[in-house]
Amino acid sequence: MAGFLAPFRQPRRIVGVMLLMWVPLTLYVMFGDGLGGARFYVLMPAIPATLLLYVLAITSWRESPVALIGATLVFFWLLVAVLVPYLPLVDPNKPMAPFAVIGAVRNDHLFVLGADFKGRDMLARTLWGCQRVLVWGVSATMVAYVVGCLLGLIAGYLSGWWDQGISFVSNVLLSFPVMVLFILILNYLGPSGFNIVIAVTFASAPAIMRIVRGITLDMKSRDYIYAAQTRGEHPLRIMVFELLPNARGPIIVDACLRLGYTTVAITTLTFLGLGLQPPDPDWGLMIKESAKVAMLFKFSYMLLAPALCVSSLVLGFNLMADGLREMSLRD
Amino acid sequence: MLKLIASRLLQMLLIMVVVSLLLFLIFDSDKFKKQIAVAELGGFAVSALSEQDYEAWLEKKGLNVAFYERYAKWASGVAHGNLGRSFEKNEPVLSLVAERLTNTGILAFWVFALMIPLSLGLGIVAGMKEGSKRDRVVSFVAVFTTSLPEIATAIIVTVVFALGLRWVPANSSMVNGWDWRQLVLPVMTLVLYDFGYVARMTRASMAEVMTSQYIRTAVLKGLPYRRVIMRHALRNALIAPFTIIVLQLNWLLSGVVVVEVFFQYAGFGKLLLDAALFGDVYVIQAATLVAVCVAVVSQIISDVGYTLLNPRIRFG
Amino acid sequence: MASRKPGQSDHPVVHSAFAQMRSGKLDRREFIRTAALLGTSATAAYAMAGLKSPANAAGMPFSPDDPKAKMGGILKIAMAVQKMEDPATYSWVQMSNQSRHTLEYLAMTGPDNVTRPMLAESWTASPDLKTWTFVLRKGVMWHTGEEFTTEHVAWNFNRWLDPKTASSNVGLSVCSALVEETGEKDAKGKAIKRVAKNAIEIVDRYTIRLNLNKPVLSAPEDLYNYPAAMAHPGFKAPISDNMVGTGPFQLVTMKVGDRCILRKVKTMADGKPFTYWGGPVYLDEIHYYNFDADNQLNGFASGDVDGVYDFNVEQMDLAKSLPGVIHIARTAQTICCRMRCDTKPFDDKRVRQAIVMSVDNSKVKSLVYTTGGDVGENHHVAPVHPDYFALPPLKRDIEGAKKLLKEAGFPNGIEVTIDVGNTDGPWHQTACEAMRDQMKDAGITLKLNVIPGAKYWEIWDKTTFGCTAWTHRPLGTMVMSLGYRTGVPWNESHYSNPAFDKALDAAEATLDVAARKEKLGVAEKILQDDAVMILPLFRPIYTIVAKAVNGYVGHPTQYHQFNKVWKG
Repeated sequence: MAGFLAPFRQPRRIVGVMLLMWVPLTLYVMFGDGLGGARFYVLMPAIPATLLLYVLAITSWRESPVALIGATLVFFWLLVAVLVPYLPLVDPNKPMAPFAVIGAVRNDHLFVLGADFKGRDMLARTLWGCQRVLVWGVSATMVAYVVGCLLGLIAGYLSGWWDQGISFVSNVLLSFPVMVLFILILNYLGPSGFNIVIAVTFASAPAIMRIVRGITLDMKSRDYIYAAQTRGEHPLRIMVFELLPNARGPIIVDACLRLGYTTVAITTLTFLGLGLQPPDPDWGLMIKESAKVAMLFKFSYMLLAPALCVSSLVLGFNLMADGLREMSLRD
Repeated sequence: MLKLIASRLLQMLLIMVVVSLLLFLIFDSDKFKKQIAVAELGGFAVSALSEQDYEAWLEKKGLNVAFYERYAKWASGVAHGNLGRSFEKNEPVLSLVAERLTNTGILAFWVFALMIPLSLGLGIVAGMKEGSKRDRVVSFVAVFTTSLPEIATAIIVTVVFALGLRWVPANSSMVNGWDWRQLVLPVMTLVLYDFGYVARMTRASMAEVMTSQYIRTAVLKGLPYRRVIMRHALRNALIAPFTIIVLQLNWLLSGVVVVEVFFQYAGFGKLLLDAALFGDVYVIQAATLVAVCVAVVSQIISDVGYTLLNPRIRFG
Repeated sequence: MASRKPGQSDHPVVHSAFAQMRSGKLDRREFIRTAALLGTSATAAYAMAGLKSPANAAGMPFSPDDPKAKMGGILKIAMAVQKMEDPATYSWVQMSNQSRHTLEYLAMTGPDNVTRPMLAESWTASPDLKTWTFVLRKGVMWHTGEEFTTEHVAWNFNRWLDPKTASSNVGLSVCSALVEETGEKDAKGKAIKRVAKNAIEIVDRYTIRLNLNKPVLSAPEDLYNYPAAMAHPGFKAPISDNMVGTGPFQLVTMKVGDRCILRKVKTMADGKPFTYWGGPVYLDEIHYYNFDADNQLNGFASGDVDGVYDFNVEQMDLAKSLPGVIHIARTAQTICCRMRCDTKPFDDKRVRQAIVMSVDNSKVKSLVYTTGGDVGENHHVAPVHPDYFALPPLKRDIEGAKKLLKEAGFPNGIEVTIDVGNTDGPWHQTACEAMRDQMKDAGITLKLNVIPGAKYWEIWDKTTFGCTAWTHRPLGTMVMSLGYRTGVPWNESHYSNPAFDKALDAAEATLDVAARKEKLGVAEKILQDDAVMILPLFRPIYTIVAKAVNGYVGHPTQYHQFNKVWKG
């Protein structure tokens, strides 16, 4: 087993496997309509990639039970996300039997998690719902990281006016309470997944920039940077290939935490009507739509199912962050 | 020290000017003017309005002047304590914001009143003996509750206590006058969400203090354990949590919008959301500035408090 | 009950309508409505139709005083509490509900769709329907202590018709027959219309005559349109600051987005006790509390309010499990999924026909509104419209649709996109989704482009295929001339058919009620055959009130009439 896995432990290959998982999933969710008939097959390579990543994660994090639990929760949803088109589920958007409660059998269909007010199968909607949260949440975090890291590197490495300017703008943004910033930006741009990416970038990039700037300032004076400078390497090359890899540790932990925040933010914003739009299932949307119809105990499953799912995903990210931090402190 | 505070406040003023200018610029767009018109006159009526009637309407609302003129007028009004009038609610922004701030303040008071003793207590208990069973239980509960998004916690407590047990109402709109029972669920949601974070910080701080040299010495000297904790450990262990707690103010002001919306509580966050959706620019201005102000001031208090409390840090 | 016949005092149209009812050409309810509009008392009209009249206090528009009624109490309603600037420019029914128990109307249309005298005691129309004489009730007092007279009525009419007021009342048939072009033009070259000389004629303190320049049948009904409330000549905007009316309640607290509190008037401004012309009023206070549309039912469920403005169909199951009485009102509110007749591919009639044929409206209706509502027939006249003419029911025809598509050059089917703004609630989308599933069978791929409501209103008259919400209007001819006549501003489909315009003109020019229906039927048929739109259904309106609320009846236009409501 270990021998089989060994070749995949190289950072480059891990990134490769991640891309193999991530690209199909993103294509499927963001541009699925444009894929036509290919849509059905596009997620297939992602299934082994996800499984492989999960095995890699649990084998290398064996020492931290917390990280293991976290990874299991996160990978459960990732697996669901890539597997869900191939599962024997009914169409999550098809109205069948409104208000069918948990375990009801209507029209020869067993509603394991009941049906919502439009009669759509809750099990199908709950499982499908993880796709949009995961894809948009992770994409938004990634974009925020790219922007934040670049700005941080520039501010820290070039200093001077660059630093002053970037720091002032990020101070302005940081002095906004996050929710206010989200509301203002999304209200201005209009609610959609892509605009969530922009809003999350605005809200998160300044904080990421601060972290990266701090690390950069700290490392700028190290010998190997001087060496690179004297070799006459381009500052951008130094920043991305010399400085960034060394800031990896704190960034990964922060990224896990931030993934959790972003998941919460997307769900919350969608609940407030500023995020993802119907009809495709999404946890925040399910909560929003059910909140007006489910205020009775017998219908409360419509609210509980998406609430518990989003909680488990966020818990997964947070535990993963905790475990990773613990392990990095031990090293 | 004073110089530092002054420069921070000055920076805040600068930020507020920039922010308010930006907001004015954004909400001056035709899109938002149209949005106000649609909200006030109805979509059908607006689309049937002639260009001239629409211009007349803009003039009536004072929206047809250039944005810098409006901004100047607004800014001089602010200097005189006049924050303008809400388009949506047709009342002075000042009284509107004050009322909603009071409501959120009541919420925040109860959250603090319950959250501080709870999280400090649990954090101290857990941090006294790192790795003990108590510590593990507290840490797990803290991670767990913090990981539940506010909206999920709100749903769970509503389903359990309002829909299931029927102890308290599910709705906190307070339409029939003040009712403490309607405050239970929002407060519970916020405390559950927030206490874990503060407890974990307290635990970490306490654990660090407990491993420090002087506590070990005190214990070895044979001082009663209780006294060591109360007299020596706590004082230092509570510095970090203090700063964290002050920072929660910021979150309680506007981060709780989802709880206010879910429970229909007429608080500050909901005001801001409604105003943003309506395009009610003067309310947005006032609310954003208050939010920014609270954020910066709580940051300053937290920093200053940390410096004052912590004997190891001195500003030259 | 022995049926009575129209007498000398009744209008000639009442006589002819009576004959038509006898010969079965006219529906009884429609006869009652017409007779009441023309000045016959509602009770008499009911008697002529051989129907039992809903119990009404003699000469009053309200239900009779209830001997069991308890005095006192507060009625709490969940509704959007909106800004009140000027009653003449109200744009939402909610605003008018907030003032309906203070600012009253000359006439009042009851839940039975019959219009009865309110501030007017009676009215008569000339045989050619061009001269209407309204006689006011005596002893109607403003809260200021003045008596309500024809001077005040004339002042209101003149204000509505002043172009500066920009009141939507100008569009009412009665008002448009009071104005004439003056030769003035506005900046865009549109003719400015002003009140014609002597159009509004004060006969005496209690008698006022309207001299119209074209015949109008619906004058009293028009005067219960929600912006037609009678305001006091001392009015200054905003009305919420000083609301002087003739009604039994006055405004005490008004906070937009929060609450609107009305309290029974005890004394007038001059210190004398106030006696309401309409007899006893039971409630002490009416409270409107602001709830978002989605949360009104939750407010009711938690016992915060006694009733809601309305709730939507998704909430029906929740409503059914609550203790309360659900009221369902039939309306002409609808969605019109219309195609732009001058834009590809919809400029080809065969494409439009194929799209329309592939949808089974009755299926869509029963999917979206399981309870209540009417099936639409793609011509925008609703069964609740008094001038509705029933055409043979529509049939879904998949093979026919495929054949037409093939002829139009789409042998492999066609893909079209519809803009959906959900401006009247998420049911727009549910309806379009149901249509999408049905069109699939005919090889038509319908894509839904869901956009925010405010966005939709920016493009509603521009998009090539869109799902537009149309509100209730009292007459079929009214919606047809607003939306489908060649070149009118709200003609969102750019439909233009001289034959249709002619048929519509003919219907509008006909005073005889049964003949008018038949003529409108011709226009309905032309519009239906031209396949301009899928109009799948007319939505019902649901409200719920607590069991303790007595005397509440749901009104098709959601107008609140609480004068005789009491709490037990």
